[in-house]
Amino acid sequence: MKENMNPDDAKLGALLRASRVTLALPPRFQENVWRRIADAEAPVPSTSWLSWLDTLAALVLRPRWALATAAGLVVAGALLGAHEGNLAANQAAQAQYLAAVAPAALR
Amino acid sequence: MNRSLAIVLGALGLGVMLFSGSYLVSHRICQVCVTQPPGSLDWMRKEFHVNDAEMARIRRLHADYLSQCNLMCQMVAAKKQEVAAALNNATNVSPVAEQKLAELAACRVQCQSRVLQYFVEVSQIMPPAEGRRYLAKMQNAAFGAQEGNEQPVSEPAGHEQHH
Repeated sequence: MKENMNPDDAKLGALLRASRVTLALPPRFQENVWRRIADAEAPVPSTSWLSWLDTLAALVLRPRWALATAAGLVVAGALLGAHEGNLAANQAAQAQYLAAVAPAALR
Repeated sequence: MNRSLAIVLGALGLGVMLFSGSYLVSHRICQVCVTQPPGSLDWMRKEFHVNDAEMARIRRLHADYLSQCNLMCQMVAAKKQEVAAALNNATNVSPVAEQKLAELAACRVQCQSRVLQYFVEVSQIMPPAEGRRYLAKMQNAAFGAQEGNEQPVSEPAGHEQHH
């Protein structure tokens, strides 16, 4: 290879070597590089509400839990409705009584 | 995340539907079943803890009073007609119209005092504490401040600045 080398190439090589700029690395360059690599490879920590939502969704999908909650809601709604219905009927009866004994025309 | 959110929101919606559905059905059923026929006084037994003997006395008193109440209503209606006749086509308040208005007011006062007397009589049949509660409640319901009745007629906007 060397025999085929052009003398101008040798000159050019020397010139290129002389023109190469050697930059000084910033302080703690290597340490910073490794730290950034470690950060990039670390698993993304999930935020608390996201994990909470996932837990809740998983809970909702459990048939036993879903059935118990549905039954609880139906019973609670029925009890509250019965109570309120009773009160409404009682109020209607009182209003009827009042309209009978003290009609608006007399008041 | 989207899937979890959809599941939770769907479950919430289903829960709301279940709760409100059972509430409405039960409310309606209870209202229909508990509703008493017109004129029934059974609500009073529960509300004011009236026993059977007291209830029987209240029923008699109530029946007597209702016949008087009908007469009073007829009397007030007749007086109202007289007032309307006196005011018919009148452009000012005549002495006759004033006289009829005074008669109507007097008739109303008479009826109101009879209503109050009935409330007092019923309350005296009940146990004392319940009687006081009944009287206060009925007086307030019948003659208490009723919304809108005694409100002055509101003036058009802009009139306030002249006063």
